[in-house]
Amino acid sequence: MLVMKNVNKIFQTADIQTHALRDFSLTVNEGDFLSVTGPSGSGKTTFLNIAGLLETYTNGDFLLDGEDVGKLNDKGRSRMRNEKIGFIFQGFNLIPDLNLYDNVDVPLRYRGFNAKERKRRIIENLDRVGLASRLKHLPSQLSGGQQQRVAIARALATDPRFLLADEPTGNLDSEMAQGVMSLLEEINQQGTTIIMVTHDATLAKRARRQVQVKDGRVSELDLVNHRAIA
Amino acid sequence: MFNYYLKIAWISILRHWGLSLLMICAIGLGIGAAMTTITVNYLMSADPIPHKSKQLYYVQLDSWDVNDPFDEGLNPPDQLTFTDTTNLLNAQKAFRQNAQAQANGVIEPNDPELLPMSVSGRANTADFFTMFDVPFIYGSGWTHQADVNKEQVIVLNKVTNDKLFGGEDSVGQTIKLDGNVFKIVGVIDQWQPKPRFYDITTGAFNDSEDIFVPFSMIAEQKIGRSGNTNCWKPSGDGFSAFLVSECIWTQFWVELKTQQDKEEYLTFLNAYVEEQKAYGRFLRPMDNRLSNVMQWLENQEVVADDAKMMMAMSFMFLIVCLLNTVGLLLAKFLGKAPEIGLRQALGASRATLFSQYIIESACIGLAGGLLGLVLAYLGLIGVESLYGDYMQGLATLDSTMMILALVLALISSIVSGIYPTWRACNIQPAQQLKSQ
Amino acid sequence: MLETGLIFRALMRNKMGAILIALQIALTMAIMVNAIFMIQDRQQQMKRPSGIDENNTFYLTNTVFAQDHNFQAELQTDLNTLRKTPGIVDAIQINAIPLSGGGWSMSLQHEPGEDKDAIGSALYMVDEHGINTMGLNLIAGENFSQEDIQWRGQGQSTWPPKTIITKAFAAQLFPDDWQTAIGKTFYISQTQPMQIIGIVEALQAPWNGWDGVERSMLVPFQMESSSSYYFIRTEPGKRDKMMPIIEKVLAESNKGRIIRRITTVEDTRKRSYRQHNATNKILTTVVATLTLITSFGIVGLAIFSINRRTKQIGTRRALGATRWQIMRYFMVENFLISTVGVFIGSIGAIGLNMWLVSTFNLTPISFELILFGIVALLIVGQLAVLYPARKAALIAPATATRTI
Repeated sequence: MLVMKNVNKIFQTADIQTHALRDFSLTVNEGDFLSVTGPSGSGKTTFLNIAGLLETYTNGDFLLDGEDVGKLNDKGRSRMRNEKIGFIFQGFNLIPDLNLYDNVDVPLRYRGFNAKERKRRIIENLDRVGLASRLKHLPSQLSGGQQQRVAIARALATDPRFLLADEPTGNLDSEMAQGVMSLLEEINQQGTTIIMVTHDATLAKRARRQVQVKDGRVSELDLVNHRAIA
Repeated sequence: MFNYYLKIAWISILRHWGLSLLMICAIGLGIGAAMTTITVNYLMSADPIPHKSKQLYYVQLDSWDVNDPFDEGLNPPDQLTFTDTTNLLNAQKAFRQNAQAQANGVIEPNDPELLPMSVSGRANTADFFTMFDVPFIYGSGWTHQADVNKEQVIVLNKVTNDKLFGGEDSVGQTIKLDGNVFKIVGVIDQWQPKPRFYDITTGAFNDSEDIFVPFSMIAEQKIGRSGNTNCWKPSGDGFSAFLVSECIWTQFWVELKTQQDKEEYLTFLNAYVEEQKAYGRFLRPMDNRLSNVMQWLENQEVVADDAKMMMAMSFMFLIVCLLNTVGLLLAKFLGKAPEIGLRQALGASRATLFSQYIIESACIGLAGGLLGLVLAYLGLIGVESLYGDYMQGLATLDSTMMILALVLALISSIVSGIYPTWRACNIQPAQQLKSQ
Repeated sequence: MLETGLIFRALMRNKMGAILIALQIALTMAIMVNAIFMIQDRQQQMKRPSGIDENNTFYLTNTVFAQDHNFQAELQTDLNTLRKTPGIVDAIQINAIPLSGGGWSMSLQHEPGEDKDAIGSALYMVDEHGINTMGLNLIAGENFSQEDIQWRGQGQSTWPPKTIITKAFAAQLFPDDWQTAIGKTFYISQTQPMQIIGIVEALQAPWNGWDGVERSMLVPFQMESSSSYYFIRTEPGKRDKMMPIIEKVLAESNKGRIIRRITTVEDTRKRSYRQHNATNKILTTVVATLTLITSFGIVGLAIFSINRRTKQIGTRRALGATRWQIMRYFMVENFLISTVGVFIGSIGAIGLNMWLVSTFNLTPISFELILFGIVALLIVGQLAVLYPARKAALIAPATATRTI
């Protein structure tokens, strides 16, 4: 469970103060598929970064699986990212120097699994996204959709409780986007909580729960609009 | 995890091979230059007789001109007069003592097929061989009695024995040196102290001598002396006048076991000079010195200025190479900012990232160190061929130097890597993960 | 104006790379300037003429070991043989060879006595053929005559009454006018009078590192010594042909001696300055490598900074910047960094020089050399940045609109 209560985030530069999140309160339950929409600069990415422990917040309370995130040091936060959270980005963010196998291997290494376990998970997850036959390929040899599938395999390899997706289909054409969305829905059905930031209203509607962020504040959208997953 | 860091470093070095090569070359050149000069300095300042260099003392007495002191009064003369050497030798106050001077002569081989050969020689007393641990293949040095009796005995070095006797045991045979017959008592093995500490005045890095004869042979005019002669007062006519003159051309070494022995010997020297003053000699203030081997080498500035200056230059050179490496590492690591952000998102802590990038720096450093060793090896060959005889045997890499090269490379690269790594670890992941 | 202010502000936002380059340039300059200075210093030392006809002279060591021999007669025979050999201009017996490293020095003083100031000089024992054999240039006074030549026995301590000295030695004895030295009497070995009868233009001492290397004197002596040098001058171009001939002639004419170490004066000069030459070569290599490394550092960092700014450069191009303007940006940037570098470098060069002066007795560096260092490194910087800057200029304006 992810719980945020009155979280504030203020960016401070030399002479400008930006209030990115204002008294941001949100609870995400186990198994949710949450979509976050909002205009550019509304604070939705900031929310996702804080939720993913990539950024600290200025004040408020944030509990992830009952643990007070504010009290963790860099090492604790890193461990939590590794064990509980998986990320998917608009730009895929694969490491260009590493082949697919080694890319999926990265979080498993930080987790400290033994070689056999790592291999099992890598093969299993690349198989799940249909790329098990291309272990030795470099990211640059794949299409955008395939790259995003690898990124998803990498995110899932550690069996995270939460999958955070930032515009996961933003750089994909509609056909590929459909494929990625279906994959996410399938993953959600298998029990992984998904939080997806998008500005695409149609995609957002495929989530089970939708929230909107505006000027750093969060508001729940009408649940009646929720469309059952086909 | 260490293996994983190594693997990632390996991939990263290979993928960015141009940049990596540039850094390896920079470190390699820096280490190569530094090691070349360090080795030359190290060998020049080496202790040539480590186990007893603290017990061997070179004797200096200030017998020089009262109006115009030797070395502007900074140091007493670097050699002794024949009179003083003879007196100190006869006193036998030290555990061992060696009086010596450089000599040379011509050997007429017994074998008429062989041409006469000119040889470098040393005229010394019996203790020379035991004091300086001279290794013998055949026979040994001569006895004290031989010195006293002015026996015409000779010790050959291996090369000379090979030439004259084909390497056979020649002890007991005789040879004709400058027309005089000498009896061979010993043949010494390869022996070349570096520096040739026992006689700095004729070149600290010259070859050891072909033959050795008793010191008394010079006064007996059985062999011609060479080496440096310095006079502050005209000597009279003829060789006997020269022997009693104030010219300095002999050297005197003593072996003293303990600090107390040394102090007692110095007291003896002072008493001796005091006594000589009665004959109107030693008009300068008392300045008698006993320098052990390393002190003597230091005092005689055996390490050439050029070598020291080159070493200073090469260290600055290394610093430039390291600054270069710091810049390139910084470029490389900051260029990897997106990857670093991603790794943080996937669970790498700062400590993890720090280890990873320091290990990558160290790998580059190690590769640079290996290249540096090769360059140092080539550099030393170059130095040897450029300087010739002067650097002969001073340009070899021993295991100490090889380890030093690698350690220096490793330390340099890690030091160079610290700032870039620190910057890399402080990259904010959130900023790097944005797609725009 | 050349957007200098803008470039400077951009630099200040990313200081570290610039600082590293500036420091490299500074150190490179400090080392370069001092190395060049040392190279020049050595080259000047090596250029000093020895005064001898170096191309056509050689010498050998004559060592007599036979017991019963007549030094005087044998020397006369040898010299007569040598002087009569076709291809040989002249020959002498001598006690030391200029620049060879080993020789004899004595001091001359204005007044006789034990505690008088004296000036040291190299001493060469020659006969009346000395000047001709060595090819010296007698610029004042006269040569020795045959009657002036004396025999010197082993260990003899008296000196002949006449000498010929070098101009540099005369100038030292008579700082006002060296020519007045002719005919003057000095004292050798503290009390023995010696009259200067001639002055030669130059003749170097055997020791090239000695500060009195230009001070030499010729003394009319022939030596009764078991070992001495024969110094021989050949007709131009015949030296190498004559050397083995002479060696053979001498060796065969008298079996009671060894002829060895037959050496040309050219080789002696080479060996004498071998360390100088070696040090110069090493210093040249150091300067060249250093400049190369610094250039590569500039190229590497410039490429990195351009890669990072690809999009920005594309945007500038899209907004109408010409290729030249993009190139100029990076060249001005480099110029700013290099300027800081050479400024620190000038201070460093002087500092390093001061340290070298105090530790190794070098002379202070000249201002022109520092100026040269400044200009050289500014040019090196501009040349190094040329390739990356060109690369930047070739970035397409369309890069601006691409997302990744």
